Amino acid sequence: MSVTEQGLLEREKDTMTLNMGPSHPSTHGVFQVVLEMDGEIVRSAEPHIGYLHTGIEKTSENKRYVHVIPMTDRLDYLSPPQNNLAFCLTTEKLLQCQVPPRAQYLRVIMCELGRLGSHLVWLATHALDIGAMTVFLYCWREREMILDLNEEISGVRMMTSYIRIGGVMKDATPGWLAKVRKFIDYLPEKIDEYERLLTRNPIWLDRTEGVGVMTKEEAINWSLSGPALRASGVDFDFRKKRPYSGYENFEFDVPVGKNGDVYDRYLMRVEEMRQSRRIIAQALNSLPDGPYKVEDNKISLPERSTLHTSMEALIHHFKLVSEGVSVPKGETYVPTEGPRGEVGFYIVSDGSNVPYRVKLRAPSFMAIPGMCKMMDGSFIADVVAVIGSIDIVMGEVDR
Amino acid sequence: MTAEEVVETVKSALGEAVQKGEVNLGDAVIFVAPDSLHKVAQYIKEDAGLKMEYLSDIRGVDYLDQDREPRFEAVYELHSFEHNHSIRIRVGLEQENPTVPTVTDLWNGALFPERELFDMLGFNVTGHPNLKRLIMPEEWEGHPLRKDYPLTTEDVAFSHNRDYKSELVKSKPPTR
Amino acid sequence: MGLIDQAVDAFETEINNIRLNVKDAVEALDHEYSGAVYDSILTTKLGKVVGWAQKNALWPATFGLACCAIEMMAMANSRWDAARFGAEVFRASPRQADLMIVSGRVSQKMAPVLKTIYDQMPEPKWVISMGACASCGGIFNNYSIVQGVDRVVPVDVYVPGCPPGPEALLYGIIKLQEKIMMEAGTDSAKKRVA
Repeated sequence: MSVTEQGLLEREKDTMTLNMGPSHPSTHGVFQVVLEMDGEIVRSAEPHIGYLHTGIEKTSENKRYVHVIPMTDRLDYLSPPQNNLAFCLTTEKLLQCQVPPRAQYLRVIMCELGRLGSHLVWLATHALDIGAMTVFLYCWREREMILDLNEEISGVRMMTSYIRIGGVMKDATPGWLAKVRKFIDYLPEKIDEYERLLTRNPIWLDRTEGVGVMTKEEAINWSLSGPALRASGVDFDFRKKRPYSGYENFEFDVPVGKNGDVYDRYLMRVEEMRQSRRIIAQALNSLPDGPYKVEDNKISLPERSTLHTSMEALIHHFKLVSEGVSVPKGETYVPTEGPRGEVGFYIVSDGSNVPYRVKLRAPSFMAIPGMCKMMDGSFIADVVAVIGSIDIVMGEVDR
Repeated sequence: MTAEEVVETVKSALGEAVQKGEVNLGDAVIFVAPDSLHKVAQYIKEDAGLKMEYLSDIRGVDYLDQDREPRFEAVYELHSFEHNHSIRIRVGLEQENPTVPTVTDLWNGALFPERELFDMLGFNVTGHPNLKRLIMPEEWEGHPLRKDYPLTTEDVAFSHNRDYKSELVKSKPPTR
Repeated sequence: MGLIDQAVDAFETEINNIRLNVKDAVEALDHEYSGAVYDSILTTKLGKVVGWAQKNALWPATFGLACCAIEMMAMANSRWDAARFGAEVFRASPRQADLMIVSGRVSQKMAPVLKTIYDQMPEPKWVISMGACASCGGIFNNYSIVQGVDRVVPVDVYVPGCPPGPEALLYGIIKLQEKIMMEAGTDSAKKRVA
């Protein structure tokens, strides 16, 4: 078709095609939406993804289980401990091994710190897109403290890979635990600060109330999950309904919204930040003593001190480092509650030390068609608010 | 319902449509042929006792290395929020033109995962409104997640072997 | 008489030679500096001033792709303030930026987009390849990741890390500033200006 013919065809249809992305400041990553606009109103939004496809699933089919863990860090890169946990839980289900309680509590602490970090980035970028730049700078100040805690426990700021198969990488020192306690004592007034800036702010209310509404049935049908699903009125949280890794021992509330709009999703996540703080406080108060990884040396490395005296420990260490853990044949899936929704890995194992198939159930991936449906009939400014409220991370969308 | 009860309910209600039902590590799993998938899925979604209105995920697996028939499998994971139970439906697809009917009329959340099945594994999803490549570029050839698709076509460009390294450096494309 | 004539002839040939040489030298200078309006005495000094101005006001284009983008945002925030080094604003439009920080893994689908954005940036422009994935493909050696963004655009500074901390990226920007100062006033800087 020649350029003139294409132009005439463009003029015949009564909508304007506007391309947003993939390199755009407000799309939270490399995400492209092609909007058909009727003036300022969006008639349809067509998503294009795949700009960050990394082939992690296929690469995992050639790596041992412990080598897949750092790759899972880079999937949902805003809360890496959650991905590590989902992968390790599924592998442990296949291995049928029990993780000791201290390791479970440490995992919960890391995951909730990851959830806090992720929600802080969400609040920062969402508020920045809608126009509140101060919140961006404030949220990062707290996130830097969480990253410092990460660096102290595992050596890496973001991609900690702290949670391993059978437990955690290494024990938490009393000094680190004291620092976590100091952080969570400092946090509540900061969350109050963010709320003071935004929750009753008339500009914020104008831009987020009534925007991107999803009813309860629609939210379930379009496979939304996490805070977006709960904002539409569905009271379901995997930490409460299908507890894993010791969550049944903690007392926390799960916020549920009414209207299913952008404002409700904002309120959900802010309340989740407060509840995460509560969970970490309880975990610190009741942290049990004991081993920090499972005692079975076919799964987790033996203590370094025993390597000098015990022959079996040496052999196990050698086998684990060179060959890796061998997982029995089977397939399973464990759903966990991540900051964005239901995160889980479907692992098919063929009995060797290399997984046969690893598939991530990414909450952002499943939420994108629903998100584009929310944009129908809204203004172009609301597109940005909706994308921010669903909180997509392209690392897990494209894998 | 417990996993055993879920499998029993489905098997007794649908009879032959369910090839096999089992409880695997605490999960309810049923095996279904592609032609009966839609019927089974609709029953599981709408029956009052099961009420699995939430589609969690659709995955595809290529069992080429394990030498079993059928080669491909599409796996559906469904949750019920009301009753807090789940089920996994495994649909075996054959090697020549693997075809599976769409479930987008039951769950709109199936739009993207089914496109990904087509893109990465080459399953033909009949009835899907927009079956195009999703993750790979439009003009990409081949289906990357199949076991006979190579992971990479390039050697790792680093070596501790001094002689091999000089070869690599010579063949590295110019950067400016 | 003869001697004076010889001397005058020799003197005149010398002057002619110098005239011809000067003409050649001026032509050679013109040829070298064609297109640029530089006075040959002030060239290097003016170039240094221009280089100093460029390095102290490097405005990055937002090209955050993956995890490294989060650390780039951390660098722009209050703890490791990049604004004090001149990167005051991250420009959304590539036409207003002069530094492209490729932060994150570049997939095969994204590579043409990367090249388009790079082409849209006006000269002079610099590229920092941030992180292991942008520099060499990182931990992903497979069908979908471009093994090093220098296969698509020319890179000036590579910052290793997965992800590099904000302090590492700041060090990369400082190294780039040193590179700009070193190149200022010389031919390589002139090649950047179209």
